[in-house]
Amino acid sequence: MVNYKYKNMVKVFMALLLAMGMSAQTPEQERRLERLEQKMRQLDPTFAIGAGSWEERLALLEQKLDSVLASSRSPRTKSEPASPEPESEPKPEPAKEPFSLVSVKGDYESSNDSESRMPVAGYMEAHFNKNRGEPGQADFHRFVLLFGHNFSRRIKFWSELEVEHAFVEGGEETGEVALEQAYLDFLIKPYFNLRAGMLLTPVGLVNERHEPPAFNGVERPFVETFIIPTTWRELGFGVTGDVGHGLRYRAYLMSALNATGLNAEEVLSSAKTNGFQASFRNPAKALRVEYAGVRRLVLGFSGYTGITGNQFLSVKPAVSIASFDGRYSYRRLDVRGLFANTWISQAGKLNFVLQRQVGFGANVASEMRGSYIEPAIHVMPRRLRQDLILFTRYERFNTQQRMPQGYLPLGEFDRKALVTGFTFKPHADIAVKFDYVLNYNASAVIRPVNAVNLGLGWWF
Amino acid sequence: MRKVWLFLACCLCAGVFAQDRKDVPARTIAITAERFVFTPSKIRIKEGELVEFILTSEDTEHGFLIPGTSIHAIIPPRGKGELRVKFVANRKGEFFFECSRACGAGHNLMRGSIVVK
Repeated sequence: MVNYKYKNMVKVFMALLLAMGMSAQTPEQERRLERLEQKMRQLDPTFAIGAGSWEERLALLEQKLDSVLASSRSPRTKSEPASPEPESEPKPEPAKEPFSLVSVKGDYESSNDSESRMPVAGYMEAHFNKNRGEPGQADFHRFVLLFGHNFSRRIKFWSELEVEHAFVEGGEETGEVALEQAYLDFLIKPYFNLRAGMLLTPVGLVNERHEPPAFNGVERPFVETFIIPTTWRELGFGVTGDVGHGLRYRAYLMSALNATGLNAEEVLSSAKTNGFQASFRNPAKALRVEYAGVRRLVLGFSGYTGITGNQFLSVKPAVSIASFDGRYSYRRLDVRGLFANTWISQAGKLNFVLQRQVGFGANVASEMRGSYIEPAIHVMPRRLRQDLILFTRYERFNTQQRMPQGYLPLGEFDRKALVTGFTFKPHADIAVKFDYVLNYNASAVIRPVNAVNLGLGWWF
Repeated sequence: MRKVWLFLACCLCAGVFAQDRKDVPARTIAITAERFVFTPSKIRIKEGELVEFILTSEDTEHGFLIPGTSIHAIIPPRGKGELRVKFVANRKGEFFFECSRACGAGHNLMRGSIVVK
């Protein structure tokens, strides 16, 4: 009796095992497959139901679905009869889609809206700046709209139009409307693509990634303002690509700087042509190589060299820049840093010619140097949607690192700054910023003033 | 008789796990999206392999689009979670994926490739 009972139990378990281990299907899956088969039969009454094992039925269903899809893709006018292909010429199998999507899970839903529409984005930032001993000033610093268009999968357009300081009036020193970028990308291979138009010079960390939530501090780093003149754009063309193993590059020929704008205070900022009456007689060469082969580490080298375009026949100074930068994130800690050195050839001759032309000495240096390091920590728990970043940035920059023979460097241009503050992000693309800037210089006469800055920036 | 029970229990577990394993990807690949790069940007997988990409952003919202396929999803901004895309490569070749959300100056070239062997 007992043996009989166990024999029955073994039989039941063996059946269960066969059902779960071999076909590994549940009754629910079986029912779902049947429903799919019935739906397929509604589409095609000749479709056979329930023949073979579960896998065979599934394979049959997939095969039938492919053929139905293929027939629905081939256009056929109403007048054309749906005649079958002659048996002697079998129809080739439709090409399979390269990937079968199994599932998409995430904190955002999947989207069927591919990027055929015109991509539109933008960023804005408003600042309040107060230097010690001076009244504070509020300024809607930047209102930038970005537009793109895909002519095809391989030809794409991108642009950035900016209104600075909110108000623009002809002939007055107020704001400005500027075309920051407008270029075409011709995508050929991952390691080789072409780009042409108004381009951002690929130098430093901030020049190409200057959206407000992308950096800490209300204002951009001093080094990337005085040594690298962010935002620096010129007309040009070049190649760009990703050669694999995390190594990518950009190499452009660009319109040259204008030597008449060089001076000791802003150095290169006033020498940018911004694409207006730019000289392409001696195009400048710009190169950036980045390594991002290790997760959350990006190292970059930028090089720029070019003979300045100018109206003086007797002097043709060349400007060269070399910069190294890096960004690294480890858990809640971010660190970024940059070192940049700029050389200007024939600086003595240029100073002499500029003095003769405009009546005062520009005091342009033959070498400038700057560097900064910025550690930052995310203090709010990861589970919260908001983010609070405390940071401090130490900068050292000297726009008269080395002077041409006969010129003395001024201490007021040998500067240091300690910028400390926070960036609060109620959303990843919105940044509320605050910082306090301690300024120092080497001058015994002209003392710099400290400043408080408050900013609000967003990206969409 | 104990051995029979033990054997049956093992078989039962094996059957249950065999069911679960069908959805377990052969490979899971973590991809970081950041203006204007995917890291890694070149991914090699095998034909017929079930793979899962786990995509996270280091900054803003990005898109993950494989042109010509139904694979298109949004990578949430930093700190707002991740995107998991599970798929099977049906044929050999090199296929591109790209960011489909305008994310800044280098958006056009924010691309990567999947090499199916």
